[in-house]
Amino acid sequence: MNSSNHGPGQSIRRRTFIRQTAAFAAGSAALTMLPRRGLAASTPTVVNSIRSLSNPYHATWNQGGQAFAKSVGAEYVTLVTEGDSEKGIADIRAMLEKTGGNMVLNVDPNDSPDARPIVESVVKAGAYVVTQWNKPADLHPWDFNPNYVAHISFDGVRYGHDTADALVKAIGGKGGIVALGGILSNTPAIERKAGLQQVLDANPEVKLLDFQVANWKPTEAHDIVSAWLTRFGDQIKGIWAANDDMGSGALEALRAENLAGKIPITGIDGIKIAVEAVKAGEFAATVSWDPYWQGGMGLSIAYAAKTGKFDPTKEPKSHREFYGTGALITKENADEFYKTHMATEPTVDWNDLWGRVTGQIRQA
Amino acid sequence: MESPAGKRPDNASLKRTELNSRSSVERKQLSKRILARVRPFAPLLALIVLSLLIGAVNPRFFEFRNIVRLASSAAIPMVLALGANFVIILGSVDLSVEGVMAIGSVVISLLVQNDRNTNAFGLWGPILAVFAGAGIGLLNGCVHVSFRIPSFMVSLGVWFVALGLATFILGGTTVRVVDPAFRGLALHYFLGFPLAVWLALAALALCWIIERFTTVGRYMYAIGGGEDLAILSGIPVSRVKVIIFTLAGALYAIGGMLAAAQLGQAQALIGNGRLFSAITAVVVGGTALSGGEGGVLNTLIGVLIISTLANGMVLVGISPYVQQAVQGILIIVAVALTLDRTRMKIVK
Repeated sequence: MNSSNHGPGQSIRRRTFIRQTAAFAAGSAALTMLPRRGLAASTPTVVNSIRSLSNPYHATWNQGGQAFAKSVGAEYVTLVTEGDSEKGIADIRAMLEKTGGNMVLNVDPNDSPDARPIVESVVKAGAYVVTQWNKPADLHPWDFNPNYVAHISFDGVRYGHDTADALVKAIGGKGGIVALGGILSNTPAIERKAGLQQVLDANPEVKLLDFQVANWKPTEAHDIVSAWLTRFGDQIKGIWAANDDMGSGALEALRAENLAGKIPITGIDGIKIAVEAVKAGEFAATVSWDPYWQGGMGLSIAYAAKTGKFDPTKEPKSHREFYGTGALITKENADEFYKTHMATEPTVDWNDLWGRVTGQIRQA
Repeated sequence: MESPAGKRPDNASLKRTELNSRSSVERKQLSKRILARVRPFAPLLALIVLSLLIGAVNPRFFEFRNIVRLASSAAIPMVLALGANFVIILGSVDLSVEGVMAIGSVVISLLVQNDRNTNAFGLWGPILAVFAGAGIGLLNGCVHVSFRIPSFMVSLGVWFVALGLATFILGGTTVRVVDPAFRGLALHYFLGFPLAVWLALAALALCWIIERFTTVGRYMYAIGGGEDLAILSGIPVSRVKVIIFTLAGALYAIGGMLAAAQLGQAQALIGNGRLFSAITAVVVGGTALSGGEGGVLNTLIGVLIISTLANGMVLVGISPYVQQAVQGILIIVAVALTLDRTRMKIVK
């Protein structure tokens, strides 16, 4: 078996194999490109560019995009960066090339600096774009009229504050809490922690026993919470987490010690598991950004600008760079939220472009 | 192994003419021999010193409750590192850990009671999940051996294929595992420890037996020590490699299952970050990345060092802003202590 590996026959076979595979791949790629050309001329293609389809957040985002595309009868394309900025930008450029600029783009840039080359490419091609979450602070939609329609983000300070407030209420206004943060250099992690700090300052009887970074991951949060139980024992009255994934890891660490539901947890993002935990009384609160809305509304705003429904240059700055509205989900509204957003496909009025604007984004 | 006492007269007779320098040379050799004796235990010593340091600052470290928590946080890294360990002894690298974990967790979560379908296959769930992982490992091994592509590249590709498959199956969402028997792996205790810890120990024992008492185990070291020599000696190199990669795949799938049991959910990204910690644990335990050295018990110590470090950082209260740096320094120190680098000619 081993000696035959060195024979010349083996290497030739392998080369042929590779050649055939390459030919097949090229052929099928060419085939898929053909029929789409014709469609592009009429309705603009609607394109979502997101990090990945492997996480629930962006998967829901993608559903929203599909729903919007269906509502206007446009062709829908999803591009994924897989955490690779170069790939993200290159895919968008290829799409602009393919559609000849007849497209609208809703993008969650992989990293803040990516937004600039993306916007510049879109402007050059004459397409329309809405960015979300990440962009450099000095890149503004009104500097790229009319193609850069809007930037949408969410106020991390405010919702870090709101969930911390719900946690303090759940523990009766006093006692020790511990906090799990996201990747230290991430803007949302920094903002949400600042919101937590505001609540701590306003409630001197609540003591932050420790703050640890679990890098947004449930597994890391799980092990940190276990170690906290050793260090602080029953001093821990509540756990604040900067996102739901870490909160769910914390919850399972508590469950392993029969403490689930006895120590309230809060998270942020509004993923299904967290909403279910709120319903079950194991989470005190979470905040939903409604990624379904983000995935569809970003496209809807760009599409309305592209098709002349409104003129971006005439909109106020608070419509060009705005904070969307997150929904604080607590025991009171969890059942209702679950019914309308999780058990069934949400219904969003895609024509209500500015319904969730809660003010212009703070300038750093 | 010769005893130092038995060797001394021999050295002395050789150097009888250099009476003056004899004692110093002898002392140097003696200390070298002692070091050579102690070195295999360096990771264990590092673990003990680390534990004592943490225990000195926070005595709660040694409480039984914390030992249980430590053990249960080490269970998943242990199972993963066992697989990585065998492949590294072969002199290869397997990067597919996170992809196979994803498949393992997805398969198990869809076969036991969950919130997505009405399946409840009971014991068949874990069996099929392990087979799925072993199948991916088999693919890894076969492609590596028959197309003669470096294991590094093959397993990188297989990682993404497996991750893509898991993403496709779940459509990017999360499945909740509600099967009480399966969740019991993480939530039920036997003799004070969660079942997952016992499962990890069983995997450890099995791997130790394979390493010590089977032909595959012996061949594995021969191949890692020098593949050309192994081929010339008539060792079925390809077959052994395929077997080891298959075994590693099965172990990663078990790791994925344990993660699903621990978190009560499965998603494609469940293994996120596990590859690096598995390989770190193997190397910190004293297994050389060049192959042919180390073993299962080294890896156990390596995993315990990494887990103790993570647990200790929180217990001691080291600021998250400097934790990564502390972790990095300790890993370098542990590895520097572990291997005798004076005999190495080239370091890559």
